Amino acid sequence: MAYVITETCIGTKNTACVTACPVDCIYDAGEHFIINPAECIDCSMCMPQCPVEAIYPGDEVPEYLQEYATKAAEFDYSGIAPGVEIN
Amino acid sequence: MADLKQRSLEEVKGLSVEEAAEIMRQAGIVGAGGGGFPTYFKYMRPLPHLIVNATESEPGYWGDKLLHKEYLEEFLLVFEAMKAIFGFEQISLGVHEKDRGWFAEYQEHSADGVYDVRYVPNTYALGEEKTLVKHSTESRVPRFVDNPDGTRRPGMPPDVGKIVNNTESLLNVYNALFLGKPLTTKFFTVYGAEVDTKVYEVPIGASVSEVLGIAGLDVENSGHLTVLDGGPYLHDMAIAELGKGDAYVRRMTNSLFVIPEGRQGKEYAEIETECPEEGIVSLVGEVSGVNVPLGGGLLTPATPLVSEGDEVEYEQKIGEPVDQGFSVGVWASLGGEISSLENGIVAISGGAIPQEEAEAEAEPSMAGGSQPRGEAEPFQEAGSSGGSK
Repeated sequence: MAYVITETCIGTKNTACVTACPVDCIYDAGEHFIINPAECIDCSMCMPQCPVEAIYPGDEVPEYLQEYATKAAEFDYSGIAPGVEIN
Repeated sequence: MADLKQRSLEEVKGLSVEEAAEIMRQAGIVGAGGGGFPTYFKYMRPLPHLIVNATESEPGYWGDKLLHKEYLEEFLLVFEAMKAIFGFEQISLGVHEKDRGWFAEYQEHSADGVYDVRYVPNTYALGEEKTLVKHSTESRVPRFVDNPDGTRRPGMPPDVGKIVNNTESLLNVYNALFLGKPLTTKFFTVYGAEVDTKVYEVPIGASVSEVLGIAGLDVENSGHLTVLDGGPYLHDMAIAELGKGDAYVRRMTNSLFVIPEGRQGKEYAEIETECPEEGIVSLVGEVSGVNVPLGGGLLTPATPLVSEGDEVEYEQKIGEPVDQGFSVGVWASLGGEISSLENGIVAISGGAIPQEEAEAEAEPSMAGGSQPRGEAEPFQEAGSSGGSK
């Protein structure tokens, strides 16, 4: 059950989660980071790193934030590399 | 009394919480799983449920499984003792589903009711405490909790009445409570490129290069190899180019993972290793010198009890824990002469190889240098052929 990055990442995009992830499954989805559920190994390393508490275990995402789980499941990861885009 | 001495089961069961925690502190026990959190502190406030993490935290590891196989009696005794001392309502052994057969004896003995065995999905990785609680109980560690001062911190197993302890840490607790034996060694797996998979018990502070030499690597001619302290996922760099520089076995070292220089550990996430037939090989007394840290990580340095030039015996106390912060006792992992005491590191020269030679090995060599070896081949077929997912 993959972890899910939710609303409070928007406007924050702190990269501590990206650094913590041992399998590089956190991608830049534009206004927020996103975890590829096909690659997440459910280790939870990212969750305590988030300064805005945006990350939930997949089975504990509140109802009002479910859209982020849906988006993560349906997102097209093929065109982007994991980690932080360097501008 | 919190002396380190031999005790019978009944004597151990008669220890108070404070006495048992103090013995762990004096014995120098810290979390062997990788966190290095001082074990005594986990037990100062007893909680209802102890979960012993018997899942190897990285692909390719064998240390915890071999410890459970070789020290069954010791684990059964320490479970019984811990239940009595700390009043646990339940002790559970967290085991991967795939290891049911390996832990069959533990399942049989659990019929006595002292502990139970809980199987967690094979996907559970990295030994992470909160995830182990989630997979082995009905409890969920909260994501974050409020501190009394209004700040927030990440949730921890004690927030839901759980103490999670690593297999090896618990064996070290057994050694301290029952045998009066302090922490002086670390169990870990050596595996990867150009080495056979082995599990060693190694004096803390031993030279990584020396251990790899014993494991069969031609250290001085292996600049094309990198050594990680850890596994494919989580690790620290130990030696970037083997033969140039050195590193030391830490209280948290769970593996020396050898990969071709220029590659990433996580490229080997699918690695599969064979259990070493000979079991655990002890290198106690087999290394030439050690560098034992008095503190480091979460630990406030202990006060040294020795000076340069002193002779020490194996398992002699060389550092007294201080009252400030987290601090634990430090013990000689090798008998010999204190060759230096600098920067919180006690160097003991044991004599098998002269210290000068060990130091020379640690110096960057002129030969074999900095040529990148980009064409290094993967060393294991398991990753490419193991399409089990």
